[in-house]
Amino acid sequence: MKKYFAATLLAVLAAVVALPLMAAQQTPQPPSGPAPRTPSGKVDFSGVWEKPYVPDMTKDGKNQKGVAELPFTPWGAADWKSYDAAEGDYTGACLPFGLTRSVNSPFPTQIIQTDTYFAFLFEQNSWFVSVPLDGRTHRKDATWFGDSVGHWDGDTLVVDTANFNGKTRLDTVGHPHSDQLHVVQRFTRPDLGHISYEVTVDDPKTFTKSWTNTRTFTLRPDWEIMEYSCEENNKSLWEGRIKVPKYPK
Amino acid sequence: MNMTTKRILMVAGLVIAVVRPVPAHHSFAAEFDSNKPVTLKGAVTKVEWANPHIWVYLDVKDDRGGVQPWQCEGGPPNTLVRNGWSRDSLKPGEQVTIDGWLAKDGSKTCNAREVTLADGRKVLAGSSGGGGQLR
Repeated sequence: MKKYFAATLLAVLAAVVALPLMAAQQTPQPPSGPAPRTPSGKVDFSGVWEKPYVPDMTKDGKNQKGVAELPFTPWGAADWKSYDAAEGDYTGACLPFGLTRSVNSPFPTQIIQTDTYFAFLFEQNSWFVSVPLDGRTHRKDATWFGDSVGHWDGDTLVVDTANFNGKTRLDTVGHPHSDQLHVVQRFTRPDLGHISYEVTVDDPKTFTKSWTNTRTFTLRPDWEIMEYSCEENNKSLWEGRIKVPKYPK
Repeated sequence: MNMTTKRILMVAGLVIAVVRPVPAHHSFAAEFDSNKPVTLKGAVTKVEWANPHIWVYLDVKDDRGGVQPWQCEGGPPNTLVRNGWSRDSLKPGEQVTIDGWLAKDGSKTCNAREVTLADGRKVLAGSSGGGGQLR
């Protein structure tokens, strides 16, 4: 019996160590079936979603297709070349990540949807973004997350975001944008378990043309959004190892 | 499920949980130097289990027989919990080896890539930079 146990244990360990896609093996299969709809007939995106972590939007990864080369303007190229996170990292200071960097984050996002609102509950730092679907136009005040409005294009939900304050960066590695950033996110739900996600970045000050990432989100009915207090124990900031960027007032 | 099967699944689950990367919230390069790897051996004195990162404190013996206090950043509790770890996964008094990278400011601070117990088991895998390769 002991020999059997030891042999079986070794076989299991060998198989586990040899498999290159450990996370995939551990991840349960998402539920199958058609995309659900709200009582009014719209595709319903509600749920807790596992998103690919995208620290660098130029890179491909599991469930993520990046853009190989960013079409920088001279201003964008100069900003990117001179960027050094050690000289100032707003996310390390727990300042708002901004829209793309929150969607890029490694933590899940819950989507809440009604006929008039579409809301992102980001686990990252417990932030949220509320998107009205009533046809209103953008407000004018610039903010960290920008101002989002949504509309339907058939069964695709389109979230259009403008009026960013220009204090954030697009991803963890620090690709730049300006206050002219305009982000369009397109959500489709091919089946119950998945969202096909596309994000298009347009910023004429930073890029000569718009560019896109495409991703797949996976429904995680076994997950709940957890609290995330970035400020609770941010020792790295308090002890001076992370610097806060200087922003003009 | 018999006892043998339970034990096999338990060990397999532990191994799977160890190898998943644990990224987090800020740029690795804001705080740590990917060109300065470090290996620390010592006794855990405290574990802080809070966002945005857990911190592991340990006493490390130096060449002169003295003891130097170090602190190492781990992954975020949320992801660690989803990967099967808890605040009880590493306890004060345990002897550990931490492989990671030094902080840029020269303090006795590291980013923990890997925490290994005396019996070889690895716990609380994770770093803030996805392996120290990020800018």
